[in-house]
Amino acid sequence: MQFFGGSEISPSPPAPTASGNNGHMLYVFNRNGICLLYREWNRPLHTLNAQQDHKLMFGLLFSLKSLTAKMDPTSSEKGNLGVPQLPGQGCSFHSFRTNTYKLSFMETPSGIKIILVTHPRTGDLRESLKYIYNLYVEYVVKNPLYTPGAPIRSELFNTTLDQYVRGIA
Amino acid sequence: MIGVGKIKQYGNVLDKPLAKGKQEVSLSAFAFLFSELVQYNQTQVDNIGELERRLEDAGYAVGARVLELLCHRDKGNRRETRLLGILSFVHSTVWKVLFGKVADSLEKGTEHEDEYMISEKELLVNKFISIPKDMGTFNCGAFVAGIVRGVLDGAGFPAVVTAHFVPMEGQQRPRTTILIKFAEEVLRREARLG
Amino acid sequence: MAPVAPRSGDAIFANIERVNAELFTLTYGAIVRQLLTDLEEVEEVNKQLDQMGYNIGIRLIDEFLAKSNVSRCVDFRETAEVIAKVGFKMFLGVTASVTNWDAEGTCCSIVLEDNPLVDFVELPDNCQGLYYCNILSGVIRGALDMVSMKAEVTWLRDALRGDDVFELQVKLLKQVPEEYPYKDDE
Repeated sequence: MQFFGGSEISPSPPAPTASGNNGHMLYVFNRNGICLLYREWNRPLHTLNAQQDHKLMFGLLFSLKSLTAKMDPTSSEKGNLGVPQLPGQGCSFHSFRTNTYKLSFMETPSGIKIILVTHPRTGDLRESLKYIYNLYVEYVVKNPLYTPGAPIRSELFNTTLDQYVRGIA
Repeated sequence: MIGVGKIKQYGNVLDKPLAKGKQEVSLSAFAFLFSELVQYNQTQVDNIGELERRLEDAGYAVGARVLELLCHRDKGNRRETRLLGILSFVHSTVWKVLFGKVADSLEKGTEHEDEYMISEKELLVNKFISIPKDMGTFNCGAFVAGIVRGVLDGAGFPAVVTAHFVPMEGQQRPRTTILIKFAEEVLRREARLG
Repeated sequence: MAPVAPRSGDAIFANIERVNAELFTLTYGAIVRQLLTDLEEVEEVNKQLDQMGYNIGIRLIDEFLAKSNVSRCVDFRETAEVIAKVGFKMFLGVTASVTNWDAEGTCCSIVLEDNPLVDFVELPDNCQGLYYCNILSGVIRGALDMVSMKAEVTWLRDALRGDDVFELQVKLLKQVPEEYPYKDDE
């Protein structure tokens, strides 16, 4: 899915240089909208406090999902706009691009949402998000000292994640 | 039930061949179960020391039972009577059954005569662990220390067994060392045997 | 990108790291033993085992989804089959079967012939009320909860109590739609 114009963005930002500096930030939310993790690598502008920022991001995804499903021309079973859906019901979007950034999104049937914001020219990151989900499973979910629903504090996960994101964007 | 009361003997369980020991479950099934053991015990204690002690207790029950199983399988029921024999039994036989491999190393303590160390680069129970700063020196390896103590105790070698992280040069993750300090009587007996 | 087909339980189990079932069985035994000492009442132990299972279920679901490529769980019938065929195989290395569907398709039985939790186990006389495997019902309940299915899971047959197999009844109570978790004025 693409928003705000086609693929030719003008003036276009410099193409990714593969320097590993094209990952901006990453969010992980659980099914209750709790932000389990926020990582930031490259974000010059902060206009909101962290809590507002997370809430806005979650709200953006929630509304967008509901809208994209509503506009789905291929499915006949659609509720009214705003009527809650079961997770996994309806279609879902996986990325959108603006002239300044690209947002890639994945949601699991268990309601874990992973959002990676990168340079607008980054390619398809769906497999990368899956990989990040796997990292989450290995380093967070299986950590005996992690309590589900709590913010992630695992250094091991953070360093592995940082390294991985540097490698892909 | 394992380790509880006297076992009532039904035909059912006895019919099962005890010697199979080849079945496997996924590592994650164990990891989740172990996580829950840790999480539950965290609700039962006030400090890290107590938490380790409770994990060690749980491990002790496993160790005692492992010894029974292995003795049963080893038809001759031969018992290790010497210190080095029992140590190598733990380091190789027990480790192989429980963790699928022989332990990385078995060493004698350099400062104390009664101390031995079994070390593992990545101990199964520490594989997924990330210790938050407020938990200091907490080591899930206490469970494995308990297993070792259970085996040693059952075989007549009482010891104090503890688990420690040892930083490794050039490695991101520390290794785990299981420190075994034998009771005085064990060393006296060993000396007598010559 | 075409949706990836879910992987079979056998394929996953063959490709993941495994441990000797005895370590698992004996560790579980140590947990039950600890609970019996701490809680004394068998009924309390049953409850705690169920709760621990639930806690495992809400974690394990993510491992399950990540490894199995299952991308949606909307249909209960399908979900029950996946639990039995893929879930049990992938974690415990055993297969279970699904039977006894009711007419509405909201209630079924999962039957387990082989159960690695109970090797070497006998219930002593003072524990006759114990549901030794209660952790399993909790796991299923927790995992279903995370995919928005509120379910009730109860034991119908228990081999430790003289039945020939283990049989769990799984009853779907309701499916919970996703809602916006924040109030507007927050």
